[in-house]
Amino acid sequence: MDFGPHLFLALLEGSITAAVLALTAVGLSLVFGIMRVVNVAHGEFFMLGAVFAWWITSMLGAHPVLGFVLALLFAPLLVGLIAATTDYLILRRINYNPERTIVATIGVLYIIQQLTLMTFGPEARPVTAPFNKRIALPWFENGADGFTLIWPWGLGTTTYKLAVIVAAVVILLMLWLVLTRTKWGLIMRATQLNSDMATAHGIPVDKVYAMVFGLGAALAALGAVLVVPIQQAHYLMGADPLLLSFIVVIIGGLGSLLGTVVAAVFIGLSDGIISVFFSPTLAKILATLLVAFVLIFKPNGLFGKSAE
Amino acid sequence: MLELKQVGAAYDQVQVLFDVSMNVKPGEIHCLLGRNGAGKTTTLKTIMGLVTANKGTLSFNNVSLNGLSAHQIPKQKIAYVPQGRGLFTELSVAQNIEVGLMVRGKGTSTKDKVLELFPRLKERLKQRAETLSGGEQQMLAMARALCIEPDLILLDEPTEGLQPSMIQLIRDVTIKMRDEGAAILLVEQRIDAVLSIADRVSFIERGVIAETVTASSVQNNPAMLTRYLGV
Repeated sequence: MDFGPHLFLALLEGSITAAVLALTAVGLSLVFGIMRVVNVAHGEFFMLGAVFAWWITSMLGAHPVLGFVLALLFAPLLVGLIAATTDYLILRRINYNPERTIVATIGVLYIIQQLTLMTFGPEARPVTAPFNKRIALPWFENGADGFTLIWPWGLGTTTYKLAVIVAAVVILLMLWLVLTRTKWGLIMRATQLNSDMATAHGIPVDKVYAMVFGLGAALAALGAVLVVPIQQAHYLMGADPLLLSFIVVIIGGLGSLLGTVVAAVFIGLSDGIISVFFSPTLAKILATLLVAFVLIFKPNGLFGKSAE
Repeated sequence: MLELKQVGAAYDQVQVLFDVSMNVKPGEIHCLLGRNGAGKTTTLKTIMGLVTANKGTLSFNNVSLNGLSAHQIPKQKIAYVPQGRGLFTELSVAQNIEVGLMVRGKGTSTKDKVLELFPRLKERLKQRAETLSGGEQQMLAMARALCIEPDLILLDEPTEGLQPSMIQLIRDVTIKMRDEGAAILLVEQRIDAVLSIADRVSFIERGVIAETVTASSVQNNPAMLTRYLGV
């Protein structure tokens, strides 16, 4: 395949990574932005989303579309409830102390991982995509007759992969609308800006924190449910999303949702391109190096604000 | 009526309040005076539940505040304007006011009434709170508190860093609230301004209420100010 179509294919694969990463990282950013909690267990909530999606679809044995729709609804809900319970049982009791929450969420990471291994086993579990029609994509060639449309062999994708990108965009837009246009969004933003004054205005900050922790985890789970028909569910699959989410959140600016989405698109696309042309490991190395540079030259990230 | 009996409070292991006993009656401006670090702000935060009282009792209109969660206290019609204003800086003026209205589910009529007191805010409803001048920010902090339609208002240094015209406005609104029957607990550094509007004064020393007297008796006995405030 020529360079042009090859690059286009890489960008397409990168867009899927970017879409799922944006959902996962926005969850992490939301939790940090509002609660100031660095959730090291975030990748495990992603993994749980994928494993629950497999569990729901295989338990029901229903039509792939019905099974997948139910997984899309219930897996994030279950993960959100588990996260909210984690907040209630652990984070609230250590008073959201920044150092203690890091250690506590590392503990949660191992508990979730090992419980998943014990319950669902070590095998990678496939989930059937609800639809997966292969579509060929066109390319342009500048020949003697000017620009002509060609159909290079191997340049194609599936309807499901395109749907993942569209779904992520729709979910992120809905989240933005909730945060900026609804009473719930106002409550969350007020809590983020000044939790003491939010309390002094009748906002039950503890409940808001539990809800935000649940929402952050549910977003990661939603990303996982969307991607699991492409990459299978496995109890160790949380590490990469966690690392990439941290990279994205640091580059975008801790707590900045816009920055997180922009950085997710950048990292996702570059990951796609570097993985296709070189290797996935090199993509991770370069992304981590980029984080180092951002931390040196712009410690608050591209869209972050300096701490008050 | 707000009633505090032998209230104590601490930040972690550091005890700041030891014995705060005082009351604030409806239709009264009660001023809390003391040196820096005496426990004035901590007293207000303890009433709001933001610092937990580790001894003593707090009640308002015969409802015990000790057993309430901090977020339930404003629902008892208690409003708090903290030192430094405590605005939601990245939210607009309208959104800050909306947060105030949410406390007791108040609507447009309350909002209109509050904005009548501070017409300048009406022109800046869409502006972010952080872009307002210091005086306008104080107006917004007061307006947000008044959206609760409070029976008790806790004001922590409301005129700090403001120009004279703004100080006059804040003072006028405070008196108006008092005249409408609200109880006001005021912490203020500008003693002369305070004494001219206060009904009673409590002096706090190292976390203990040393004395509560009428404002006029303080004006007649300046030695009291020297004793408790060193002025």
